[in-house]
Amino acid sequence: MFLQRLSLQNFRNFRDEKVEFPEQGAALVGDNGQGKTNLLEAVYYLEIFRSFRGARDEQLIRFGDGHFRVAGVLEGAGGAERVEVAAGYSRDGRCKKVTLDGHEPARVAEGIGRVGAIVFTASDVEIVAGGPGARRRFLDIILSLVEPGYLSALQRYRQILAQRNGLLRNGASLPELAAWNTGLVETGSEICRARARWVAERQASFARYCQRISGGQPTDLKYSPSVPAPSESQGHSAAGGDEWRQAFREEIGRQSERERRRGVTLVGPHRDDLNFRLGDDSDAVGLRSFGSAGQQRTAAVALRMVEAESLRAARGWRPIIMLDDVFAELDPPRAERVVGLLGAEEWGQVLVTSPKPSEFGAMGDSLPKYRVVNGRVRRL
Amino acid sequence: MSVIDDLASEFARLPGIGRKTAYRLTHHLLKVAPEEACRLARAIDAMAERVRRCSICHNLSESDPCEYCSNPARDRTTICVVEEASDIRAIDSSGGFRGLYHVLGGCLSPLDGIGPDELNVESLQSRLDENVREVIVATNPSVEGEATAAYLHKILDPRGIRVTRLARGLPVGGDLEYADGVTIAQALAGRRVI
Repeated sequence: MFLQRLSLQNFRNFRDEKVEFPEQGAALVGDNGQGKTNLLEAVYYLEIFRSFRGARDEQLIRFGDGHFRVAGVLEGAGGAERVEVAAGYSRDGRCKKVTLDGHEPARVAEGIGRVGAIVFTASDVEIVAGGPGARRRFLDIILSLVEPGYLSALQRYRQILAQRNGLLRNGASLPELAAWNTGLVETGSEICRARARWVAERQASFARYCQRISGGQPTDLKYSPSVPAPSESQGHSAAGGDEWRQAFREEIGRQSERERRRGVTLVGPHRDDLNFRLGDDSDAVGLRSFGSAGQQRTAAVALRMVEAESLRAARGWRPIIMLDDVFAELDPPRAERVVGLLGAEEWGQVLVTSPKPSEFGAMGDSLPKYRVVNGRVRRL
Repeated sequence: MSVIDDLASEFARLPGIGRKTAYRLTHHLLKVAPEEACRLARAIDAMAERVRRCSICHNLSESDPCEYCSNPARDRTTICVVEEASDIRAIDSSGGFRGLYHVLGGCLSPLDGIGPDELNVESLQSRLDENVREVIVATNPSVEGEATAAYLHKILDPRGIRVTRLARGLPVGGDLEYADGVTIAQALAGRRVI
């Protein structure tokens, strides 16, 4: 599938703009603040119906307007399939409306993942170098897209967690706390199991991508759950739902006194993390604390590559790859290798942005160029 | 304020009714025969006057005990626990249940300050004599409803009472194609041998 047409109404700095893209993709050129990232943000909005920059829907509305609408027409190879995904948000009703070919799905969640897209941004380095929240958010987005049932488990988990924390804050009776434990364990172990399995399946290709971008250093990706992982010896992926439930229940039992004292839930996927480790097993160091900026960036790019690979495996088509000014962040040999990697793999359409046309390198030469100026897009 | 405005603002206080609908209802009542408007007023008046909480099951009824609790034909070995009195009508009209009911008056929600003490849990426990063999928990399938069911199980199970929960799954007569993913996933998880 590729994005054939995109229309934007009152989205960020776009008033009313329609753009058509060829199947291979586009290189978007423009000065800072003209709307390049906003355009990618709009495309990705059609994938998860949220901003990849973490902005609230309200903030996506063009200044002074009351609503926005984004619509994209996606086409399969040779025009075989066509689907229109559209989303809008109105400030007055505070309501989001999603349509697929004009029909509204029963839940917004049913519409996610129709585009099949991945965004690489300069701020991805935060996933590697920042706090654990960014890493959990990364896992939650990709797993919501590729793992059936993950998003609904996550939504229920968050609701139960809020209620349980409310209970702990005000001094809970044991039977009442136990009543919330049931749901916490049920939904939480679904999440843990999916995260453990995903990391186990993608570890090897993460290491391979890191190596190919950096040209050497082995880097390891590891799931670090707050619930002690069951059957460690056989690897996380072997553990089924029952083992995770068992482990979760036992850990809650161990922590219950501390939880009641502290007044907050101390065990569960809301305290998980991902570890990136650099070097061989014996003297491996944490990339987050000890990695150089370049090494952290390499890991961030590799993580997105793995995300794209996972999405391709789940959807059965090549995802749209969006690169938001990522080359400026990498040294020239690494940038070349990333371009080479993107060229070598079976990706779909590529949308790439940069303030400087020269930075697209070999990739930019093969893509048609578009100029973005003050919320208008023009093919060069 | 005129009597018309008075009535309209009373209507507007009802759930699901805004100002416009409130005036439409008011003007409708002005258009129909005066007897019809009075009949409505009398029905509301009678309801407010006569409907009470049943002292046994907390159902809303004109009699105390209510028509379910006082009916000797009902099965006294089973109690169906619901969140609100309005749920009783839905369950009873199905014809699939002939036992007694118990209205909790909501479900556990610590964020709203609702714990077991705010619900009719104690009166449920005091109803459980040697005759009662099963408690069916028919709270909503929401996160809060599930926690309430788990809580009731926790406190009733040690007393040797069978605690059951309504099944979740596909609606009868519905098209599989149009069921949402979450419901289908739960129906799959709860599948049974034919």
